[in-house]
Amino acid sequence: MLKKYKPFLRAGAIDTTAYRFNILIWAVITVCEVACMVFLWLAVYRSSEGGMDAVIHGFTYREMIAYVVLTTIFNFVTYNNDTLWNINTDIKKGTVGNYLIKPISYRGKFAATSLGNLLTMTLMFGLPLYTAALVTLGVLGFLPGLTFPTFFAHLGLFLLSGLCASLLNDTISYIFGILCFYTSSGWGLNSLKVTLISFLSGTLLPIAFFPKGLRDVVSWMPFAGMSQNPVLILMMKYDLKESLRCVALSVAWIVVLELFAKLLFSHAVRKVTVHGG
Amino acid sequence: MIEVNDLTKVFKKPIRGNGLSGMVKTLFSRKYEEIRAVDGITFTVPDGEIVGYIGANGAGKSTTIKMMCGILTPTSGTVFIDGVEPYRKRRQVAQHIGVVFGQKTQLWWDIPLVESFKVLKEIYQIPDADYKERMGFLGEVLDITRFLSQPVRTLSLGERMRADLAASMLHNPRILFLDEPTIGMDVLVKEKIRLAIHALNKTYGTAVVLTTHDMTDIENLCSRIILLEKGSVLYDGPLKSLKTRFGNIKTLTLTVPAEIRAETAPVLSPEVAVSEEDSRLILRFDADRIPLEQVVQYAFRDLKAMDMKIAEISIGDVVKTILEQQEAAHAEKV
Amino acid sequence: MRYVHLYFTCIKRSMISRLEYKKDTIVALFSFFFSNFCSLAAIYFILQAIPALAGYSLPEVGFFYGFSMMPIALDHLFSDEFWLVAYRRVKDGDMDMHFLRPVPVMFQVFAETFQPEGFGELILGVALITVCALNLTVKVTFGAIVVLCVGAVFGAIIITSLKVAMAALAFIFKRSGPLLQVIYNFSSYAKYPLAIYPWLIRTLLIFVLPFGLFISLPVDTLLYGTYNPWLLCLAIIGCSAVFFAVAAWVWTLCERRYESTGS
Repeated sequence: MLKKYKPFLRAGAIDTTAYRFNILIWAVITVCEVACMVFLWLAVYRSSEGGMDAVIHGFTYREMIAYVVLTTIFNFVTYNNDTLWNINTDIKKGTVGNYLIKPISYRGKFAATSLGNLLTMTLMFGLPLYTAALVTLGVLGFLPGLTFPTFFAHLGLFLLSGLCASLLNDTISYIFGILCFYTSSGWGLNSLKVTLISFLSGTLLPIAFFPKGLRDVVSWMPFAGMSQNPVLILMMKYDLKESLRCVALSVAWIVVLELFAKLLFSHAVRKVTVHGG
Repeated sequence: MIEVNDLTKVFKKPIRGNGLSGMVKTLFSRKYEEIRAVDGITFTVPDGEIVGYIGANGAGKSTTIKMMCGILTPTSGTVFIDGVEPYRKRRQVAQHIGVVFGQKTQLWWDIPLVESFKVLKEIYQIPDADYKERMGFLGEVLDITRFLSQPVRTLSLGERMRADLAASMLHNPRILFLDEPTIGMDVLVKEKIRLAIHALNKTYGTAVVLTTHDMTDIENLCSRIILLEKGSVLYDGPLKSLKTRFGNIKTLTLTVPAEIRAETAPVLSPEVAVSEEDSRLILRFDADRIPLEQVVQYAFRDLKAMDMKIAEISIGDVVKTILEQQEAAHAEKV
Repeated sequence: MRYVHLYFTCIKRSMISRLEYKKDTIVALFSFFFSNFCSLAAIYFILQAIPALAGYSLPEVGFFYGFSMMPIALDHLFSDEFWLVAYRRVKDGDMDMHFLRPVPVMFQVFAETFQPEGFGELILGVALITVCALNLTVKVTFGAIVVLCVGAVFGAIIITSLKVAMAALAFIFKRSGPLLQVIYNFSSYAKYPLAIYPWLIRTLLIFVLPFGLFISLPVDTLLYGTYNPWLLCLAIIGCSAVFFAVAAWVWTLCERRYESTGS
């Protein structure tokens, strides 16, 4: 059953390798952004009442820098699909109909491409980047939480939560992609999606910094599992029990969102067939 | 007037290596493969003439057109449009030429057609009276009035092409370059477009350079053709003499009794080629070498023909023959 | 005069295009406000945990953020099409039509898009500046107001010039979008006071990619009277003149090298 999606897995993999130069430029941009965040956090800790030794919302400045670096790598490796754009293009060109009569599911095609991307990116970039970052940060003492051999259990859960994060991202992109049926163009929806994820996933700043009520709501939403939770699992800021809870939450959300996507898709398709175009 | 003199365009294509090391090598060592897309072309198009510019894919038609309208610079040789070199004085020449590339549109995709025209009116500084007059003329000959208020993206391929043609004629250009204006159209639309080009040429004396793969376009529109092959001019002259250059070729299509077959039919002369198609016999010969009369007699007497159709060879067949001969010649060399 | 008229005709065209996608424009506008709201919320949450950021209080940091939006918004209004030139249009062979018209190509690119989103940014920025200024206890001088206006307007010219020069490189290299992105993204550094950066970056942001020159220094002048406003105005205007001249030169040079794709 999985066999028919294999070409899309490969297409995803080739897509990623074909844009080496772009990835290089994006690396430069990312380094600049990370540097900006690091300077901001250093200034924050320097200005805090406790000075550089302060612990703010459970983070020392060293852990905060490790957090910024690791979330950046995580997002780079995990979020790389064009699901929303591809759906948008299919809608504009009117090629969605072609998929409805093919024996593969429209949703499955994108999920397969995304997972293909995740696999290539993890092997090509994730492996060296995570290793380099963990070793460097560890040696500098920026990862005080790491203990062996428990770390390997965390590593396993981290990879699992990374897989969940990629699927969540793809599902959410897919849902926003289907919303293009209603708005007829994807620019606005894409930027809305990006903002929503970067704020609520803890990429912009850890959710611990949010005020109490908001924090409680956000930690039960699917977004925390898309960036903050995997990284905190890897940094061993969560214990095993907490880590397992996070992965379970993500899995539950994947199921719920997939079901929702299915309903939404059938509604959108009905709308298209009614209006004939 | 267009004067093209010994025009040559050589594209340099970097030879790419494979994989990452190949990419790095490409960055540092610059090895190029040279492609002579256009190779020493010379011709002149006087005002008011319609010229068919034909040749196989990759013969260099589009490259020449792009040099003539100034968006490609020749490697050597010159183009003069009314005495000005277009790739040097692009803006000056732009006011006097109109261009349509069949594959691309110069109209704005999302807005009603008429809004595109309004912008072009300002860009080309067309006076109100002229604009009105042109819109009237174009609306009639191209039949675009009906969908003027529709966004371009909702137009069919044929409607869009007519709209594009109108856009390129709006500022009354002295020369019109049309790169495959009838590609992908149905027969009726093609006919409409031909009539419009013809009307424009008659009414305003606009010179037209037209590339096409459709020989009917050529036969209906062009008094002169330039045939291009691998970047060089193979033939330049009136349509009629291209036909007779290969002799006065005629074909006779005969309905014959069932027992007469091409292989077994009595032979008149090696000058007459006999072939069979849908149980009819087809005789092909050069009427300058063997008189028509003699072949007709032979058809009735020896082949027992019951019915007969005499036809001149079509221009499409001529071009096809020429290109096939060239290809064969090249194949022999290689 | 002809070009002013032509510009407005083209802009009208651009607005009609936008209206074809009403729903998307509304979503885009909403997401724009939402995204700025999120960034501001993030800063607000961080500042809740500390008394002041490198000596700047909450309203002061907010003022910085709001003011940094001014030149960016002005640039956004007028020169959005250069992004497309840098990323896609040259590579896709989509520029030919501009070269076939009797109007300068750079003018056509400017006239191709008018981005009303810029107004959203402008309004949000002004609102933020106003709210923060009401919570400040500084004596506002006439010079400081002038230098802020100069920073916003001439800063926009500097940003646009950078954009034009980078986009022009696409005429030679086919695609220069990522490069433009790298340069443009440095503007996000200017959202915060320069004081939080190390010496090297501060120097870079004033003398090389002068986002600090026209954002941070004018705000510092308002808040603390750090610099002489009139000299600062002179520096910003001079800088923008140099950037604009260089950008126009680079564009002309690259435009001459433009060739359509073969075949």
